[in-house]
Amino acid sequence: MGTFYTTLKYTAVTIWSMFVIAPFLWALSTSFKDFNSVTSGATYIPWVDFEPTLEGWRVLLRSPAQGGVNIVEPYLNSIFVTCLASFISILLGTLAAYALSRYTFKAGFIKNDDITFFFISQRIMPPVVLAIPFFIMLGKLGLLDTLLGLVMVYVVLLMPIAVWIMVDFFNKVPVEIDETALIDGCNPIQAFFKVVLPNSIPGMVVAGLFCMIFGWTDFFFAFILTFTEVQLLPVAIVSLNSSITPWWSLSAAALVSVAPLIVVAFIVERYLSKGNLSGALK
Amino acid sequence: MNFKHKYLFLLPGFLVLLGILIFPIGFTVRLSLSSWDSFFPGLDFIGLENYTRLFTDDPRFWEAFQRLSFMSVITVFLQYTIGFALAHMVWKEIKFQRFFRVLFLIPMMTTPVIMTVIWKTVFHESLGPVNDFFSLFGVTPLWLSSEALSKVTVIIVEVWQWTPFMFLLLLAGLLSLPKEPFLAASIDGAGPIRKFVYVTFPLMAPISIGAIIIRLIEASKIMDTVYVLTSGGPGTSSETSSFYIFIKGLREFQFGYSAALSLTYLIIMIISLTIIAKMLVKLMIRS
Amino acid sequence: MTLIASNLTTKGKEEFFLNDISFEMSPGKIYTIIGRTLSGKTTLLKTIAGLIAQDSGTLSFNGNNFDVIPVWKRQVAMVYQQFINYPHLNVYDNIAFPLKQRKVDLAEIKDRVKQAIEQVGLEGFEERKIQALSGGQQQRVALARSLVKNANILLLDEPLVNLDYKLREQLREEFKKIFSSKASEEAILIYSTTDPIEAMQLGGEVIVMDEGKILQQGSAKEIYENPRSTKVAEITNDPAMNLFDGEINGKKITLNKEVILNIPKHFKDLPDGKYSFGIRASGVTIDKSGFPFQIELAEISGSETFLHLNNDQIHVVGLLDAVKNFNIGETVKVSFDIEKLYAFGSDGILMSSPYNGTK
Repeated sequence: MGTFYTTLKYTAVTIWSMFVIAPFLWALSTSFKDFNSVTSGATYIPWVDFEPTLEGWRVLLRSPAQGGVNIVEPYLNSIFVTCLASFISILLGTLAAYALSRYTFKAGFIKNDDITFFFISQRIMPPVVLAIPFFIMLGKLGLLDTLLGLVMVYVVLLMPIAVWIMVDFFNKVPVEIDETALIDGCNPIQAFFKVVLPNSIPGMVVAGLFCMIFGWTDFFFAFILTFTEVQLLPVAIVSLNSSITPWWSLSAAALVSVAPLIVVAFIVERYLSKGNLSGALK
Repeated sequence: MNFKHKYLFLLPGFLVLLGILIFPIGFTVRLSLSSWDSFFPGLDFIGLENYTRLFTDDPRFWEAFQRLSFMSVITVFLQYTIGFALAHMVWKEIKFQRFFRVLFLIPMMTTPVIMTVIWKTVFHESLGPVNDFFSLFGVTPLWLSSEALSKVTVIIVEVWQWTPFMFLLLLAGLLSLPKEPFLAASIDGAGPIRKFVYVTFPLMAPISIGAIIIRLIEASKIMDTVYVLTSGGPGTSSETSSFYIFIKGLREFQFGYSAALSLTYLIIMIISLTIIAKMLVKLMIRS
Repeated sequence: MTLIASNLTTKGKEEFFLNDISFEMSPGKIYTIIGRTLSGKTTLLKTIAGLIAQDSGTLSFNGNNFDVIPVWKRQVAMVYQQFINYPHLNVYDNIAFPLKQRKVDLAEIKDRVKQAIEQVGLEGFEERKIQALSGGQQQRVALARSLVKNANILLLDEPLVNLDYKLREQLREEFKKIFSSKASEEAILIYSTTDPIEAMQLGGEVIVMDEGKILQQGSAKEIYENPRSTKVAEITNDPAMNLFDGEINGKKITLNKEVILNIPKHFKDLPDGKYSFGIRASGVTIDKSGFPFQIELAEISGSETFLHLNNDQIHVVGLLDAVKNFNIGETVKVSFDIEKLYAFGSDGILMSSPYNGTK
């Protein structure tokens, strides 16, 4: 490969890397500022450009009564809702994907592809279409402003992802493995749990990661369907933005919310390099 | 294989999804035939009146839709081009390969709405670093409050946020390509450019199409970014369909009308995405 | 303990997978199903296993209706052409799986797995992961897992087709040994293959299938000597039996203007008229007194040479018992051993064979 291409390549990835990192660095710098440092114009390097303070970070742990914005509870809420909704989606999605990959369904003009489309098409639905009816439905069920209500809604958002990834995964696993399990004395349920499931872990991890990402990063439904009782992290952080904008605590909170997903990025890359993703994403 | 156990696998997921969705969808349809708003809440029946209004007397909706089409096509095009280039660059031997791959994935792991809040400070017209840089040249562009630039800002943030997703799908595709065609091309003496044009790109066509469609679906839902960054403004200059429906429904509480908007929008989306998918298949397969 | 199929039929969109299949199989015997790819062999095996339900017809085993018994309760075992094992289990656990599933007690499992491992020659590999085995070894594991169950019906679907030539020969010999000990017991052994040599070597009963139909069933010897039709003759010979149209005309067989053969004794009852004639490659050889043929291709196989020959629309494959190089297009003299000639009617049905299988 020519030196020209190599030079171009390194220049391009360096520029893009800087673009990717820039907002994080800016947020990191801002999180140590106070009102005066922020309002006196753009500054970058602590001690040189401005006097750093930990105020932005302290605010996160203080209760609202003390003028803080406790993000610990929203943080735990977000973890709970994301994990539970992902778990339900993977569980039900994997089972449904297995059925759609292995068995033939027919009811009138409805066939396997139509059922698969029904699952996956839920992602085409703009959130705003569902927002009002969900609002009214959860209200009637008494689930408005509760974690359970959010889990229910998130299952609708995440199950399509699980089905999409797992149908593809199962289509690549030879059906003869299932058949061998049946011949060896397993009924279809046992064959699934004793043989298919242990061999589907790579696919389920990938599906799980995607569910976590899309669950963790959702804002709209959390914003519409909760008020005061339960708050998820993104809503808590954005609500900081409402009146006077405390850039310092906002930045600190943003960094804290991003942190756990960096770990997910590492796991996704691992799977990517091992080639497990290529099978699962197509 | 065909055993009655198949229903035990399919039905739990199917029924849960159907159970949660049947009411919202049915209710939206019914709602769109009513005049429910904050003054007269209730499911009256006004026939297709909402739809008539939408098609004959609501230029704002169609403008928002045009803007959305324009913005999503541009962002997805940029995401695809950049994502493909990046994936191609870290596909084969490169120093710090793992570092770049992880780094390029990170933005999609972040919560769009939170990062947009950060971006809003970055683009802040008097206190942000972007204009701090531009002031060196004696200009201070109005990133958030001018009609021309507010759209550009939304696009930049969308590209930052979602190019990684494109990158991920395309890199996964590149890594799954068979080796033989490349070997054959090498033997024929093809250089890197011809290899890309005649081997890599055609082999990637199906994956590219899938990735573009998935991104178009997601891009058409642009909402969080607009809400935080510009609130659709100034005026309605960066307002997209989702945001307009949101305003009608959850700001002005015209539930009936916003339901009609939602359904119309959904149907347009499904039809146009199907057409785009078919066109892309033709285009990509031929080249 | 016989397995009886009556009129099994399974239809796809347009073609038949199984078309009116009937047979009776008894324990202690090997049944070899031979047919080309997509002839319905796999469908038939899966139907016997209970993985596919037939559209019509019945299966019965030991006098009971087999159709009502689901696959997991039928005492069958199956080895696939792909090397199918449980990737998440090691060799020992793979082989023990069917026994554990049936809740056999642990001491007995240990004994039986050990015995099966010895039978297939995998001692010392018990703890290995499946992915760490070669194709041949993986197939041995699959076979061991089938043997360990002492199933009533053992199905083998082209088990050697994906192995390289040498390994195939070796495993085939071993299989034969294992089967002869196994077959003496109480199991029905059904082995499908596309390879005529394999079918002949395994001996036992041969069932010839094509397009979902059974064309002929009989001992290997019977099918070799008297293939019922031109189709059977093609399927059960490698290279396929040479077939060409010609005419019996008094004392002569006219194939074309140049190639005119004397009539063999076993054709004496055939009336004059048009026939399809068949002869194996081994009956066609180079001989100075023969007819001129052009060489289209010469393939050396071991110590023999196969010659693809042509004379004015008559294409035949001949066999030379030596290794020799030929030029393509070269003309050689070819003679036909008329004592090995078959005659088929215009409908393809066997009329006369060298082994007196006259209709």
